[in-house]
Amino acid sequence: MNLLAWAFLFPLPGLLLTAFGRSRHAGVASLLGPIAIAIAGLIFMLSDHTPILVQIDGWLPVLPDSAFLLRLDGLAAVMLVVVGGVSACVYVYSLSYMAGDRGRRRFFCLLDFFVTVMTLLVLAGNLVVLLAGWAGVGLASFLLISFWREKSHTLGAGLQAIAANAIGDAALLLAIVMLPKGSSDLTLLQNGVPLVSGGASTLATLIVIAASAKSAQGILYFWLPSAMAGPTPVSALIHAATMVAAGVYLLVRTSPMLALAPEVLHALAWLGAITALLSGLASLSQQNYKRGLAYSTCSQLGYMFAAIGFGAPFAALFHLVTHAAFKALLFLCAGAVIHAAHGEEELPKLAGMRKQLPQICVLALIGSLALCGLPVLTAGAFSKDLIIEAGLSSSTLPASLLVLSVFLTGLYTGRLYFGVFGATTGDEPQHDLHAPDQLMVRSMWPLAAGAILLGWAGMPLARLLQNAPKDLAIHAVSMNGLLIGALGMTGFGAAFIWQRATKGRARLASFGIDWVPGAAAASRHLALAFAALHNGRLGLYLFTAVLGVALILLMAFGRMG
Amino acid sequence: MIEPFKVATAAGTSAETLVLLTSAILFSIGTLGLLLRRNPMAILMSVELLLNSANLVLVLAAHKHGYVDAQSAALIVLVLGAAEAVIGLALALALFRNRASTDIDEPNEVQG
Repeated sequence: MNLLAWAFLFPLPGLLLTAFGRSRHAGVASLLGPIAIAIAGLIFMLSDHTPILVQIDGWLPVLPDSAFLLRLDGLAAVMLVVVGGVSACVYVYSLSYMAGDRGRRRFFCLLDFFVTVMTLLVLAGNLVVLLAGWAGVGLASFLLISFWREKSHTLGAGLQAIAANAIGDAALLLAIVMLPKGSSDLTLLQNGVPLVSGGASTLATLIVIAASAKSAQGILYFWLPSAMAGPTPVSALIHAATMVAAGVYLLVRTSPMLALAPEVLHALAWLGAITALLSGLASLSQQNYKRGLAYSTCSQLGYMFAAIGFGAPFAALFHLVTHAAFKALLFLCAGAVIHAAHGEEELPKLAGMRKQLPQICVLALIGSLALCGLPVLTAGAFSKDLIIEAGLSSSTLPASLLVLSVFLTGLYTGRLYFGVFGATTGDEPQHDLHAPDQLMVRSMWPLAAGAILLGWAGMPLARLLQNAPKDLAIHAVSMNGLLIGALGMTGFGAAFIWQRATKGRARLASFGIDWVPGAAAASRHLALAFAALHNGRLGLYLFTAVLGVALILLMAFGRMG
Repeated sequence: MIEPFKVATAAGTSAETLVLLTSAILFSIGTLGLLLRRNPMAILMSVELLLNSANLVLVLAAHKHGYVDAQSAALIVLVLGAAEAVIGLALALALFRNRASTDIDEPNEVQG
């Protein structure tokens, strides 16, 4: 059983075979890794749920907590199945998507690297090991966003991701340094470690900053829409299903410790709710199909953050699982559409795909309905309902923002769906289509099944976790759930009418709250101001030096006299 | 021990005042030269003045409190001054060879 905790090493054979193998179908061997990881998670779920611990002492003696600690428990097992399952689908999809790409071998090696570090992050038993995985997924994200080196903007997009991730890494590192000796063990954090008084809220704030950098929340959202410059399978795996969910995973892991700082939890609820609302609005103004979906990911991650703020980490985890299925599905559908249209990503130019890609149309409909939260039939409804129920019973104001976002979710999902697959007006450009092959379509079926069925997995999931609420009840049909579902579907319907009225060009005028260029300009001005001091005049330098010495002497005499 | 401060005045304290005054005047001349001159040679000479004025105070204090260590520190400052002069003169020479002028403010191509 101890072998299961080493699941992060499972992709290595595949990685070596892909990197050095002579096979004409590079990448097929890599598929072993994710499947093995998902199976490891499933084996744990079917066992008696006793956590598996691996401890190697004295790994990094310079750190306060020097042990190399791995831990496989219910939460980690759920994440293993999510990471393994989604990656397996994305790998199969990529076999077809990247078939003609020259860098295919490099692509699969990088994906293997990502899966390895993501699994290490999930299996980490203390914060030090978690940080190794945490920084690793950031690096993998950068490398994969900038995968197409010959395209412009990909390097800039990758660097944005690195910049945001660096903020998160620094915050997590500070949190590790702050922890008292021997308590960076996640189980201690999970049970709420007794901290030095006043330390809890600082520690909680640092962890929230780290998580929001990874999950593109608040002002750190900026890198996620830019990250869409990478290949679409990467967007589906890393920037929709797994890596961006790592922030939520960290918060779920540390939620008992966060509970010691109620004011931080309250701020977290607001952060999530406002991000959900604003990025929902931002999605409505996007011209690019993938960027529209990226803002939707920000918005849904906002729901998960808010859920943790409401003190309902299980609801957040549940939404993470269902969201991974339907958002990865939506991205893979988008990839199929973009692939078919020879790399075109602008919405009006993609219109009228329903007739040409009927299978993709059905799959995208399933994903869209799950995102809107069609009650009973789709998984998204169950988890979103659970979050909003938790919010309405604890802090009403952020929760009402989330309810408003449900309508927005319907609207932006519908705008994207009907913009691409909606009724044709007859004047859109005729595509010389590059139809997706069966391998590509079949790789999406498991995700579609997940988007429909995972809602019923809620109760078994709750039994896996140690600190899930005991009185948890997930209703398939409830009054609130039906109302929320109806709200989402109203938005979806409204989008249909909107797209029909504007002939597939529905788009909100963009509203500028983009702070990133402003911050860049400000730091440039600051640098120029200081550069003016370095004018190369030695006399001036000497004068400043003498003046400084004189001032110090004056102060010293003043102190004495 | 050599006693260089046996100046033929009425009281020993006024000899100390004299040394301190000399040191202050040397330091002021050095600072003014540093600030006002443009010629690198003159600036180097001013720096030497600064070093030596500080040395003077050091030796005086060593004598007054009877510390031999401070006198050796003064010797170190002398060596340091010599080393600084070597590097400074080499720089000044390089400057003369590359440019016709001797204005220290003129070469400013690497400014921010």
